[in-house]
Amino acid sequence: MNPILADIYSTVIPSAPFIIAAYAIVWVALLVYVAIVVRGLKRTEAQMAVLEEAVRAKAGE
Amino acid sequence: MSDKKVKVPEAGQWPDNLVVPAVLAGAVLTTAGFLMAFLMVGPVNGAALSSPELVGDVMVTNQQLLSQKIFYFHMPVAIVSFVALVFAAYYGIRFLMGRQQRFDTCSRVAMEIALLFVVFTMVTGDLWTRFEWGVWWTWEPRLTTYLILMLIVIAYFVLRNAVDDPERRAVFSGVISIIALVDVPICFMITRLIPSSVHPVVAREGGMAPDMVAAVMIIMAGMMLVAFGLYRLRFRQARLDERVQALKDQLEDY
Amino acid sequence: MKTTKRGDSPNCHFAAKPSTFSQYKTLLAKDLRQEFRTREMLTSMGIYALLVIIVYGAALALTANGLDIMKMGGGLLWVLIVFTSLLGLGRSFAHEKDQGCMEGILLVPLDRSVIFLAKTTANVLFMLAVEVIAVPLFYFFFMTGQPVAPTLPAIVAPLAVGTIGMAGIGTMLSTITMNTRAKDVMLAVLFIPLIYPLLYACVTATTAAIAGTEFWTDYFVMPLVLACGYDVVMLLVCWVLYDFVVSA
Repeated sequence: MNPILADIYSTVIPSAPFIIAAYAIVWVALLVYVAIVVRGLKRTEAQMAVLEEAVRAKAGE
Repeated sequence: MSDKKVKVPEAGQWPDNLVVPAVLAGAVLTTAGFLMAFLMVGPVNGAALSSPELVGDVMVTNQQLLSQKIFYFHMPVAIVSFVALVFAAYYGIRFLMGRQQRFDTCSRVAMEIALLFVVFTMVTGDLWTRFEWGVWWTWEPRLTTYLILMLIVIAYFVLRNAVDDPERRAVFSGVISIIALVDVPICFMITRLIPSSVHPVVAREGGMAPDMVAAVMIIMAGMMLVAFGLYRLRFRQARLDERVQALKDQLEDY
Repeated sequence: MKTTKRGDSPNCHFAAKPSTFSQYKTLLAKDLRQEFRTREMLTSMGIYALLVIIVYGAALALTANGLDIMKMGGGLLWVLIVFTSLLGLGRSFAHEKDQGCMEGILLVPLDRSVIFLAKTTANVLFMLAVEVIAVPLFYFFFMTGQPVAPTLPAIVAPLAVGTIGMAGIGTMLSTITMNTRAKDVMLAVLFIPLIYPLLYACVTATTAAIAGTEFWTDYFVMPLVLACGYDVVMLLVCWVLYDFVVSA
């Protein structure tokens, strides 16, 4: 391969891991954030169930 | 102003109807922008070659850089983080004007989104720095002011944790969210104020090619929509949490 | 709640309220008088500054001769000032709260931003007093080995600008952190990021003045102007928001 042609694209391969990592981290961090929020939502719903139970217990007294 | 009932944001109001379309559009736009950035927009020029070379039918005189592709997400994400900070400060002001706890919740959630996007900006920027400048960190003005912005946002949450009284916590964090906003224009302007800065300034380097602008704008629009969706989701969760908490307190009083 | 100037209000007939300026003078005099009696702040800040210098002595003991102290002097001096003022600012509201003085001040119908101005002025004066001792000491311990640039006196300008800004921001933040858990850590966590732009500009200007090279004004005037701008913006923001913070 022509050395100048090789020079043109010489930074492409070494930089690829960094680009892939940058996009991947943003992607994964977004998913993690959503997962955390959804987990919070689930926990709140579980608390809601506990509340319902408590209200029922009060009503039964 | 005091007689009129202030409309407070609540989960399930009309913006929530827009969340699903917004997130879908955001996903489509960011994906489209991503594909555009890699497949359609030409690479930018790096160091000059020892002699020009004909590739296809174009004369190439510089190294072609792939690392610049990080920019297509880096800049939109940074702008979104600024916008989220503006919203956090806006809700902070709304809280201080009317003392409604709801606005404090809004401000906090917006600040959380800001933190998320600040972290994105730091990560993408840092990976680019590592490759192009060969270091993980350098005390360059833009990097430094942005790091400071991140520290202020983190300090905001540390402060929230350190105050017990909700009213007082809301006042303090509202004030800090407004003060944090002062750093945003500094961050934005610093590369122009300190010309020795090595951080690339797009405007100084003769602007972007139109297709680059298009890709950046598409991704920015997409990211805004994604951020909006995240905000509403988190807000909904925070509100539900507050309501459950209030119910619990009420139940204990009986 | 709202910042109404009750003192100057024209429809306030029953008694001649003291003017805003005399309220300011009274509050400032109170802080200064307390300081002259106990000398608590000045001694603790002064000793702390000396200790930081001694730590520098240990840190630089083996390398001081090999280093260009003129290039590092500005930075080291500002580290000294930042940490000393952090100590002083943390204390400036501690005794107000311990002795219930703050409640007393808040009962007086005065414009809350007057409290901010008085407290900031007091902190500026304390910090300047400490700098008057610390800067010559710093010179004495580290800089006598080298010829002094004729531009050295110009460091007064960045010192003054930096001190005013740091006192203003610090007054605001120490009012906030006075009511939090782990006060001292909270103050540092908020204070250092918020003064950073000011610190950066002041260090640049100070270093330029100490080094005094041929084009030193290039690195002196612009940072100083930026530091002044940051001061003005921050002091205005703090002045407006202080009412909320202090009544919370």
